Amino acid sequence: MAGDTPSIAEMGRQLRAHQTTSEALTRAALDRVAAADGALHAFITVTADRALADARKADAAFAAGQDAGPFQGIPYALKDIYDTGGIRTTCHSKLREHVVPAVDSEVARRLAAAGGTLVGKLATHEFAIGGPSFDLPFPPARNPWNVEHITGGSSSGSGAAVAAGMVRMAMGSDTGGSIRGPAAYCGTVGMKATYGRVSRRGVFPLSFTLDHTGPLTRAVEDAAITLQVIAGHDPLDTASADVPVGDYLAGLQGGVAGMRLGVPRAFFAKALAATPDMLAAFDRSVAALREAGATVEDVELPEYALFNACGRVILTSEAYAVHEADLRTRLSDYGFITQQRFVLGAGLTAADLVQAFRVRRQLTDAVNAVLGRYDALLTASALAVAPRFDAVPDPNRSAAAPMQTLPFNVTGHPAMSVPTGKGEGGLPLSLQVVGRPFDEATVFRIGRAIERATGWDGAAGECPQ
Amino acid sequence: MADIPDATAAEFDAAMLRAGLAVPAALRAAVLPGYAELRQQVELLRGLPATAEPSNVFRLHPMGAA
Repeated sequence: MAGDTPSIAEMGRQLRAHQTTSEALTRAALDRVAAADGALHAFITVTADRALADARKADAAFAAGQDAGPFQGIPYALKDIYDTGGIRTTCHSKLREHVVPAVDSEVARRLAAAGGTLVGKLATHEFAIGGPSFDLPFPPARNPWNVEHITGGSSSGSGAAVAAGMVRMAMGSDTGGSIRGPAAYCGTVGMKATYGRVSRRGVFPLSFTLDHTGPLTRAVEDAAITLQVIAGHDPLDTASADVPVGDYLAGLQGGVAGMRLGVPRAFFAKALAATPDMLAAFDRSVAALREAGATVEDVELPEYALFNACGRVILTSEAYAVHEADLRTRLSDYGFITQQRFVLGAGLTAADLVQAFRVRRQLTDAVNAVLGRYDALLTASALAVAPRFDAVPDPNRSAAAPMQTLPFNVTGHPAMSVPTGKGEGGLPLSLQVVGRPFDEATVFRIGRAIERATGWDGAAGECPQ
Repeated sequence: MADIPDATAAEFDAAMLRAGLAVPAALRAAVLPGYAELRQQVELLRGLPATAEPSNVFRLHPMGAA
């Protein structure tokens, strides 16, 4: 159970008080993987030898009085699109089933340098799109809250591994909601920081101008600690922002008194897939934030359909460009759902893409204008609880899409999915906190206030798996 | 696929042909509804004035003289 796993901060306290060792924490994580992954399929590759070597190194550093910070000795896992030197990185695809990168992605390098222990590489929807699929070299991850239900994607293994308590933190990637979606369905926190805040270098691209990297975690504090480690300028990532990284923990418990929060209610209240339990949980969280001293008001944004169209054209075009050569020569090596998503790119024109980029500027300006008057926005993340495997909507029909995450990939604003309680079938519900560019600290602070109200970081959020 | 106009299906087939993609019948049947929806979405993006610039217009920074 997730509640049996101490938080990253608590593990850190125990390590520094010599009440445990990184090797013990890492062996416990590996034991949880061994016990649960046969049913969940969260992992593609378990890196037990690497994890234990990392752990012994961390313990030796503690013994020598060397402290690299809050991640030293902490077990974690990576979505299997993050390059790991000497460890295969498959993208959950037949096309890259045996690819072993020479060097780490920048995020993997930073986590290793911070003293983390890499437990393994996680399932994803193939090339971070589509899914869940049963025609790939590895099975799809299953939702620990109910294995008959999907995890969401594409960071499917990341959501499952964190929800099941295998690790407190797993890295995901988010091009249209692939961190926040599985976080929502699996009852974890999912943080997509501002575009350019976290390096994408060495992470297999899906859509260059929409791709973000970030953590899925059991609790908001875990996400704040992780972002503190991985955020910051990477001069070798062309999108990386040279903007100072704030202190994400200093104000985390500061509450929301005096904050002004906007709710673009028209986004989700009329959405076809929105369910009463999601809406009720959203309103309970809004009430809790008001009770804690925030002013919460409805706001107007451009039509959701415009964000959705803009993002879909950009994603489909850029992804097609990445895969164009392989689609021509190895189409049948992709899973069927992936084929469906990728070939659509051949049906878009250069003018379609430029129009989308023109609209993107207008939409970004519109969101910035609202955020000039409000500290953050609150909106839906997933519109309902996770569906069963046999009830997944057609991935190519976006009118009834079950997520509302894509707008903030289009605009690049920081956005975090936070659990709000349980809905139909006892499955997790969530909302999304959207902040000003590079103001992740406020997003975390609001998320923590919601978490405090729901008790999700404690017993309320423990997964029964 | 009764709700997919013939012209849309023909447009899809032409695009796949131009791209050099050999799309099997089962894939074509699965993709066509999404393609029709995508073409409708694309129309939402049109109508901006000529001066509306795209998000990826860029600027250079001086590097100093050689």
